[in-house]
Amino acid sequence: MKKILFIVLSICALFTACKIDKPDKDLHRVIFDPGNLKFISTSLNTTTETSSALYGNQEALQSLQSEIHQPKSDSEFKLVTWKYHENPQYIGGTITGELLSVETLKTDKNGKISYQFKDNSKTENNPSNTEERIKYLMSYKPVVRP
Amino acid sequence: MDSVKKKRTAQPIAIAFLAILGIFAILQFFNKPLEGKSIAKKIEAPREVLSILENSCFNCHSNQQNLDWYDKIAPISWAVNKDVERAREVLNFSEWNYSEGEHKGKMYAILNMMQSGKMPLHEYTILHPSAKITQKDIDVIKKYTLSLSNVTPVKNNLKNSHQNIEISKSNESFKYPVSPNGVKYTDDYKNWKVISMSTLFDNSIRVIYGNDIAVKAIETEDFHPWPNGSIVVKSVWKQEKLADGEVRAGEFVNAQFMVKDSKKYTDTEGWGFAKFSGKDLHPTGKTASFAKESCIACHRQLAEKTGYLFDVPMKVNTERLIKNLQK
Repeated sequence: MKKILFIVLSICALFTACKIDKPDKDLHRVIFDPGNLKFISTSLNTTTETSSALYGNQEALQSLQSEIHQPKSDSEFKLVTWKYHENPQYIGGTITGELLSVETLKTDKNGKISYQFKDNSKTENNPSNTEERIKYLMSYKPVVRP
Repeated sequence: MDSVKKKRTAQPIAIAFLAILGIFAILQFFNKPLEGKSIAKKIEAPREVLSILENSCFNCHSNQQNLDWYDKIAPISWAVNKDVERAREVLNFSEWNYSEGEHKGKMYAILNMMQSGKMPLHEYTILHPSAKITQKDIDVIKKYTLSLSNVTPVKNNLKNSHQNIEISKSNESFKYPVSPNGVKYTDDYKNWKVISMSTLFDNSIRVIYGNDIAVKAIETEDFHPWPNGSIVVKSVWKQEKLADGEVRAGEFVNAQFMVKDSKKYTDTEGWGFAKFSGKDLHPTGKTASFAKESCIACHRQLAEKTGYLFDVPMKVNTERLIKNLQK
């Protein structure tokens, strides 16, 4: 009898263990898919504890390589910003965590610029600081990789 | 009658005991004592840090062994000697020929090993309870290690275990250098997806890329073990601070490769490690087994949960959010 009771209790305990794990199920290890864009540059903001990756097409890369730092026609940029954390596997390091926002800057064949900001609550096509953000995006230099 | 019975049962026990004793005695003829080595350069650190290291680590990780009598008896001595030799290969407090930056890197590795409970080894502390470390000990090590980062100004020539160990001059063609263990440099990673971004105490900024096999393994959590053919590359730059405090990637330091081939890299959990440094991308390592003595020690102990790879993306995002932002 005791044995049966023990087995029943153990099985119940197993079920409670599963319940605790459940909230985790919605969370994933996510890799950003930039489509046909390629990684160009990165930055780190220690005040906001965020880290960004800048992606772009060939025209975008050329725009940032040139001296004038103006978006060429047909260029597309994406600035993807993540929250970073202390690295749970290594004291003394940080690693990116939650995806916070994606900014997209595009120019058409006539060089007309469009800018879009997206975070988890809203999508804005014309936020108030558009000018500033475009200037900021264009301040990136491609990273050096021999 | 009873005493005869006792004698009859006692005899085989006595014979067995003598036989075991005999075997032990014979084993001692094959007991090669641990190779004694001189103390070339002992680690320098504050008294309280040294005493923790001496008490808990030096028996294996130095040339100053203070072994108990039972450690010296075969067959225990065989295991002990093997452990000590391996431990010395990875970290030897008596051969501390390191730059300031390398010293800092080693201290961070020690702190991480202690904090995660991986060192001192559990098997060791069972027989040597006095070597156990307490939270207080870890706090002392942590305080000292973090102070190394705070006190030292940002120097451009800081090095850590991931930046420079022993570099062999390679005559390989410039375009595609090859690591001594056969890992080939490839430019392909510039087209791969970024899997995560990180920083380290040495004021570096890092971007980690994965090939399609590695990306799929991460997305499906299929990394126990990682599928063969997975390649992960990390590019490392010095941090460059802008006037407003934002950090950008400055001078290129190195590109670190991990290539999964479970048949080829059996000594290092199936991962082939490589590091290509500087503008000429010169490979690290003198022999094919260089990673066995350096890289894998930390990866094995601290990154086991993610298949021996650091910097796998954290499990903190919801799919819905990603789909929405990626559109």
